[in-house]
Amino acid sequence: MSGTELTENELIEERIDLSRATCPNREQRANGINVWYGKASDLAKEARSGCLRQRERNFQQSSGCVLNFYLSVRIGTIRDAVAIYHAPVGCSSAALGYRELYRHVPVELGRPANYDLHWITTNLGERDVVYGAGEKLREAIKEAERRYNPKAIFVLTSCTSGIIGEDIEGVVSQVQPEIKATIVPIHCEGSRSKLVQTGYDAFWHAVLKYLVKKPEKKQKDLVNVASMLSYTWQDRLEIKRLLGKVGLRVNFVPEFASVEQFEQLSEAAVTAPLCPTYTDYLARGLKQEYGVPYFLYPSPMGVAHTDEWLREIGRHTGKEREIEALIKEEHEKWLPKLKAIRQEFENFKGNGEKVEVLGALGQGRLLAQVPYFDELGLKSSAAMCQDFDNLILKDLEKLIAQMGDFDILVNTFQAAEQTHITNQRNPDIAMTCPFQGGAFKRDKGVTRVHALRSDAHPWSAQSGYTGAIAFGNFLLQSLKSHSYQRTMLEKTKSTYRDWWYKQPNSLYYLEAED
Amino acid sequence: MVINESLQTTNLISGAIEAPRYSCALAGAYSTAVGIFGVVPILHSGAGCGIGQLFGQFYGGGQNAGGPYGGTSTPCSSLVEEHVIFGGEKKLESLIESTVELVNGELFAVISGCVPSLIGDDVGSVIRRFKEKKPEVPIIHVNTSGFAGTSYEGYEYFFDAIIDQLLEETPKEKGLVNVFGIVPFQHIFWKGEAREIKTLLEKIGLKANLIVGEFDALENLKKIPAAEYNIVLSSWIGHKTAKKLEEKFDTPYISFPGIPIGPKQTSEFLRVIGERLDVSADVIEDLIASEEKRAYRLAEYVGDVLLIARPHPYFAVVSDSDSAVSITKYLANEMGYLPDLVQIADNPPEEARELINEELTNGLETPAWPEIIYEVDAYRIRENLKDRSFMFLLASSLETFISGPEFNAIHLTVSFPSYDRIILERSYAGFSGGLTLMEDVMSKYAGPL
Repeated sequence: MSGTELTENELIEERIDLSRATCPNREQRANGINVWYGKASDLAKEARSGCLRQRERNFQQSSGCVLNFYLSVRIGTIRDAVAIYHAPVGCSSAALGYRELYRHVPVELGRPANYDLHWITTNLGERDVVYGAGEKLREAIKEAERRYNPKAIFVLTSCTSGIIGEDIEGVVSQVQPEIKATIVPIHCEGSRSKLVQTGYDAFWHAVLKYLVKKPEKKQKDLVNVASMLSYTWQDRLEIKRLLGKVGLRVNFVPEFASVEQFEQLSEAAVTAPLCPTYTDYLARGLKQEYGVPYFLYPSPMGVAHTDEWLREIGRHTGKEREIEALIKEEHEKWLPKLKAIRQEFENFKGNGEKVEVLGALGQGRLLAQVPYFDELGLKSSAAMCQDFDNLILKDLEKLIAQMGDFDILVNTFQAAEQTHITNQRNPDIAMTCPFQGGAFKRDKGVTRVHALRSDAHPWSAQSGYTGAIAFGNFLLQSLKSHSYQRTMLEKTKSTYRDWWYKQPNSLYYLEAED
Repeated sequence: MVINESLQTTNLISGAIEAPRYSCALAGAYSTAVGIFGVVPILHSGAGCGIGQLFGQFYGGGQNAGGPYGGTSTPCSSLVEEHVIFGGEKKLESLIESTVELVNGELFAVISGCVPSLIGDDVGSVIRRFKEKKPEVPIIHVNTSGFAGTSYEGYEYFFDAIIDQLLEETPKEKGLVNVFGIVPFQHIFWKGEAREIKTLLEKIGLKANLIVGEFDALENLKKIPAAEYNIVLSSWIGHKTAKKLEEKFDTPYISFPGIPIGPKQTSEFLRVIGERLDVSADVIEDLIASEEKRAYRLAEYVGDVLLIARPHPYFAVVSDSDSAVSITKYLANEMGYLPDLVQIADNPPEEARELINEELTNGLETPAWPEIIYEVDAYRIRENLKDRSFMFLLASSLETFISGPEFNAIHLTVSFPSYDRIILERSYAGFSGGLTLMEDVMSKYAGPL
């Protein structure tokens, strides 16, 4: 290892400063990057020594911004709130599915029968760009209150509102006295950061600053879980089932939560992760401001990690004994099923070789998925993740120590790179996010990395014990037909020219260093 | 202007809006590029614009993936803070070069978003420099932004750039017609509509250049000036393009208020076209006779489910103006349904509204004229649907889950957004399109009689 090693507090800006309008970008807060290809161990070394830095690409594809990857399809699901996009009309069009979200979840599975979601765009036009649009924002806030009498009004900013210098805080503080709802400005200008994860932090910053209330009473049986869109309704049910068995309740935020659930975050016994880097800012903030303990690793994916996840929660809630009993009971039920899946994977190739899988998505999922695949008897000698930052460095080092080294391609939805690595590695199963461009066209297994939030079918679960089994069976199923992807490969033209596949480097377009 | 100001009196909506059924001008230009097979869009914008429109246009426009050049496959300069300060021209320059090197395509279309417009990037000169270096590569620049208008205006911006930067005077080709006004994804049935219109026109001996939904993008675009006539299938979209082509290439144009649905509208469409383009009346009438015969023979089969289960019901429509006119006329004039309310959600300009109103009143074979409301705001559209007589609601997937509980109406998604219907090649265009529309409407309630 070259150079000096940075200590934890040099690696991460730990302090959360709620007096500021927003969080620092992930680039500043944890030296985040989204361009890298090589050995995971080298990535960890570079990060540890402080040499890791963001590089440029000469070819890039649309990959999502701070607003439009995550926030525009998520904030509008908060139930008794209104989201206002202070933006031109296109920045919120991704939210047009708002009235359909979660409606497919049967009421019998715990979905509230009556709810109504809302969003408004301030529809910035050419005149606003010249003269400013504070007045429009103010009127939109008032109209939101008049129409829906919400408990919270989220104001989301855009590249345009940022560049023309709209004074969001000024408008909010001026109009708040006239408004019953809590106004929550979120600084998510697409141009502020290269890393979509900055959007997570920007959102939690606003939640911590404006929505979370001082605890009236501590709720010793309440566990905060930040649930992302990549975790399904069944994942929630499984987590509720497990924690319910030991007398704990779950506070799932932010998707589809009520405003009251945000207010109570400070009263919980512990904040537990599904995805560590998604939950990080919230968890640290709740600890710093209200003393709510947290842990960020592991996530409840796979049997071993679910065990550890439950134990961590047990430690923070005084339920160690009950958790051990629960784990034992669950193991009796699920381990034989896991063994059967493992066996089927082992026999699949018939030559003793393991089934190879190329997976992952966010950096958090990387940490969870690699050990889970190992549990299933799968081999993952390479993985992709959207971005990388020092928030997971320690856990990545631990992962490498446990699992051995592997290759890692860090990119945020770079379809050409993903198509290339899939082609080069030629795994038995390529796990594709729905938006991965042409990477799915191939002659071997293809399946999704995860289902989406309102998928209520048990088959789509990934979390906890039932999820570990369901997802194992799901992956087995994915090996049984290649007809769609093979036909597409044969019958449609590739987006990229042939030379792309013939050269060896997925990061071919990495800009030369000065 | 503020949010509660009436939208009916003005063409320029500058107030805030709840969930409007369209996206921005960048999105419209981008959707149009993606809808012409062989055009490679290059977004000069923030990194989220492509993914945002994957959700907001392609998924919304019939739950379609991005295809080979849309969504995450779209090259994008991904501008951030440093470009806001120092400019994004250099980034764009290397992006264009790498895209041309890497991506299979016929025409490259750089589409500018909000950031370069606000910071004043000189995209034109980047393109000029590239053209000097590689004159053999066809490339255009659609100079737009998110705040320059809606998806519909984006469609016009795209063709404006094509006309100015790609087209050259070409000798007219007898019988060749271009068709405009079908906006990919905003008109959710665009692929099927384009194909059906092409087939119809070919059946009367014309060569139809639909451009959207067709391969050979570059060749088709380049032959636009060779057309004898431009046909615009919209009361307002594509008119700017057609006017500009008339000025520049002397191509006359004729417009219709929408895509013809079913035998009556299709026959009228063909007769007008035939007259303008000098097609023999015999050819037209023979085609109408044979197609009509079959369409109406099959329409007999819906007789029982129509007349026993839900005869002459009131219905309401929420859609873009073109679909609103065609669908309302079909239901009123061929199915015996009674129009109660038509809400038009694409904000057509004042001059188009007169024609739309005329079509939706005097154009109907019923004294039950609908109330016509021009409205883009999802809250007010919903309010306007309350306490009405309609039993059927032909609208978008925004109404899918509220139609039953709030209005006691049977719902069908026929307009943008359509997250709950996957639309590949289905459409209601042409003689048998009406049958398809009847199948879709009646399948929503059909059961044992």
